[in-house]
Amino acid sequence: MRRSLITVALAVALAATCILSLFLGSRPNGITDVAAVLVGNGDDYLTSVVDSRIPRTIMGVIVGAALAVSGTLIQGITRNPLGEPGILGIGVGASASVVTGTAILGALGATSTMVFAMLGAVVAVMIVLGLGGRSQARGVVPLVLAGAVVSAVLYAYINAMVLLKPGVFDSYRFWMVGSLAGVQLEHLTKLFIPLIVGTLLALGVARSMNALALGDETAISLGFNVGRTRLVGIIAAALLAAVATAIAGPISFVGLAVPHIIFALFGEDFRWRIPAAILGGALALVAADILARTLIRPQELMVGIITAFIGAPFLLVAVRRGAVMQ
Amino acid sequence: MLHQATMLRIGDRIAITYHRRSVLIWCAVTVLLLSLSIATLMFGKLGISPAELVDVVRGQASATTEFALQRVRGPRLFIAILAGAAFGISGALFQNVTRNPLGSPDVLGLSAGAGAGVAAASLLPFNMPTPLGALAGAGIAIGLVTVATGSGLSSTAKVIIAGIAVAAMATAVTQFVVTATLRDEASRLAAYLVGSLNSRDIGQVAIIAVTLLVAAPVLVWLAPRLELMELGDELTTALGGKASATRTQAVLLSLVLAAMAVAVAGPIAFIALMSPHAARMLTQTSGPHLIGSALTGALLLVLADLAVQQIPIFEGLPAGVLTAGFGGIFLGYLLLNFFKKGQS
Amino acid sequence: MTALATGLAATKLSVGYGAQPVLSDLDFTVPEGRFTEVIGPNGCGKSTLVKSLSRVLATQPGMVHFQGTPLQKLRPKHLAQRIALLPQHPVVPEGVTVGGLIARGRYPYHSPLRQWSVDDPAAIEQALEDTGMTAFAQFPVAQLSGGQRQRAWLAMVLAQQTQYVLLDEPTSFLDIAHQIEVLRLCRSITANGRTVLAVLHDLNQAARYADQLVVMHQGRIVAQGAADEILTTQLITEVFGLEAMIGSDPWSGSPMVVPVAD
Repeated sequence: MRRSLITVALAVALAATCILSLFLGSRPNGITDVAAVLVGNGDDYLTSVVDSRIPRTIMGVIVGAALAVSGTLIQGITRNPLGEPGILGIGVGASASVVTGTAILGALGATSTMVFAMLGAVVAVMIVLGLGGRSQARGVVPLVLAGAVVSAVLYAYINAMVLLKPGVFDSYRFWMVGSLAGVQLEHLTKLFIPLIVGTLLALGVARSMNALALGDETAISLGFNVGRTRLVGIIAAALLAAVATAIAGPISFVGLAVPHIIFALFGEDFRWRIPAAILGGALALVAADILARTLIRPQELMVGIITAFIGAPFLLVAVRRGAVMQ
Repeated sequence: MLHQATMLRIGDRIAITYHRRSVLIWCAVTVLLLSLSIATLMFGKLGISPAELVDVVRGQASATTEFALQRVRGPRLFIAILAGAAFGISGALFQNVTRNPLGSPDVLGLSAGAGAGVAAASLLPFNMPTPLGALAGAGIAIGLVTVATGSGLSSTAKVIIAGIAVAAMATAVTQFVVTATLRDEASRLAAYLVGSLNSRDIGQVAIIAVTLLVAAPVLVWLAPRLELMELGDELTTALGGKASATRTQAVLLSLVLAAMAVAVAGPIAFIALMSPHAARMLTQTSGPHLIGSALTGALLLVLADLAVQQIPIFEGLPAGVLTAGFGGIFLGYLLLNFFKKGQS
Repeated sequence: MTALATGLAATKLSVGYGAQPVLSDLDFTVPEGRFTEVIGPNGCGKSTLVKSLSRVLATQPGMVHFQGTPLQKLRPKHLAQRIALLPQHPVVPEGVTVGGLIARGRYPYHSPLRQWSVDDPAAIEQALEDTGMTAFAQFPVAQLSGGQRQRAWLAMVLAQQTQYVLLDEPTSFLDIAHQIEVLRLCRSITANGRTVLAVLHDLNQAARYADQLVVMHQGRIVAQGAADEILTTQLITEVFGLEAMIGSDPWSGSPMVVPVAD
């Protein structure tokens, strides 16, 4: 009952934020003016402004939801409260791969961007799990450290490529931080399939994730296929993170902070947590994007800056609360 | 002799222990550093030929040579040497007192914090000196890490993860400034994000040189207690070494050195992390490795800067991009070793 | 209170982590020139007592005195020339040799510019000899076996040349032969007039090797004296909650605690 109420509240808040996102921008507009555009009789300039806000809001919803679900899955699979696509280097992995593709093939279309992002995300996950998973010591530190290492190296690589070929990568300077400015809805048609597959896999694996939380041995003795659950979970997490990265670049900390809040609100059941993460992640990113547009009017910030600045303290609080033992 | 260490004694009042092997290696590193320095001065456009170098030493250099030396190559080389040394000592201090082989100003978010401080200082309406901005940023970063870990800086895992969070926030601040300021300003600040040694001036050399000069006597005073700190807090206290006071002093000194190095060279990644390890691997002795880390730090940064000036595929990159790439791989190697031992 | 003027003593020592008192109102003077062992169940405050006496754990002023002066009033190095502590988990520095490790025990006699004193070589050599480690002086500590490593640490503490040697569970993690070796070493240290206070787990070893036992329970000292005088079935039941009988060691005749009722 309580969970249903919170879910409804989240949905309402998301709807309200989305509407707000249409009205607020780097240029302050009157409410009536925007309302006029929405019913089809505003002036041309404002129409074009509001028209650009619609894809931006929709993409914000998708990216935020994908990141939050991805984070929830990774936290469940690794039983690691600090698992997050950004911290584990997945976003940077996807970016590095896209940058490589661009350097070799020239400007990429949406499909090839997606393929490269996906490849990069999967390779980064495998490297991080391979590096951090070797540790005898259980706990959160090896994975997070491995993620930091992979991120550092790949960031250096991306930086080097962007600086060496400024002409090719001019547009990447913003994309590298994570930004929703200039996204187009047409891209979505190409990303639609991985997005839906990732989401369905995530929802489908929720029940097994609950078993996984009890520890491998218990899950096996309850008749769950632990290896398959992990594999499906990782694939779903990588797919979703790759979609998000392909759209908006590497955005950190949404995948960390939102699952934490969702966990506090909904408890440990993944069958609630994953749908709730969709709503919560979308809400968080659309709200962050509104801040990005309005904070330093008339200029715009990149939304990745806002999420890092608001999300990173969550990591500090998690450390303070003892999420990191030792 | 009972143990490897040898004693340098000057009268009854002064006696300093050293390891013969370490001294030999320090000499070798110094020779290498000098050769690379000369190479830095000689190669490329505006390079100074050996004959001209001799002229400079004799005091009869041509105007072009003087210009190249005083305005272009000279400051850049000295910044590389001095900032590299400062990073190296800073990392050695930190790893020693926290007994954390992965602790260093970069892992802690201290360098990123200093970089953010420099960037933020440029936003202020009045003219804030760069070093002050760096110090303030580094101070805030380490303060946040200390508060977040709750138990001082003694827990390896907590410090590292809090450091990642602080570094992310600091990077966000820097990116904010880069986007918020004008475009030509932004290109200058972009170099601050990764650290570059391009177009340095003699004033910056002075800043880092004075910092190292002031730090030197403090280091001499701290060094014997740093050896004790390796034995753990309890033994340090039992041997009369004041563990927590030593840690505070060393961390503060480490902070100042790193912040000043960032102020003149930008947040160059992983020199502070790598140098103490490199020094330890070379000399294979215990101890805080202050001298060794300073030398290897200088060597690494001069090498990186020479590479971005002379090796075609790296040409034009900020030196920090190179150190971040290779340093990151080195960190990965350390992690693998670390995890194999089953610690964390 | 006249005992205060000599030796190392605690008066009304109370220590607590948070609200939970670990030691409460404890009075204790370390018996001089003897090998004393502190025993008691886990969490009774044994380690806390030893750490407080060596000021590794900060106590309130006036609770611990050395020769009549509160510990806080004495210079750290001055104290370190008189009281040594070997903690339970000392850290082995990477790459250190046995000789290098022992040399660090001489720190209290040095100053920043004078990292040497005339007595250093003799003290280090003596410590190596006492612990039988002379042959290992150039060995990296990391390559030693557990027993040898513990002897290296003991050598470091001996090189400190203190009147008082405090040891926190020096025999933990050692096999039986090395445990006995450490205990014999402790006894031989006291033979030349030094004082040893050690925290130990094994009752029978304590009874066999120590001159004096200090039995602790719930932050208090419940018995103190020679083993054959104080070890009673009643004490064992009270302190450890264990039904036991007291036999005697077939070799030395010292008391031996044997669990009963199964």
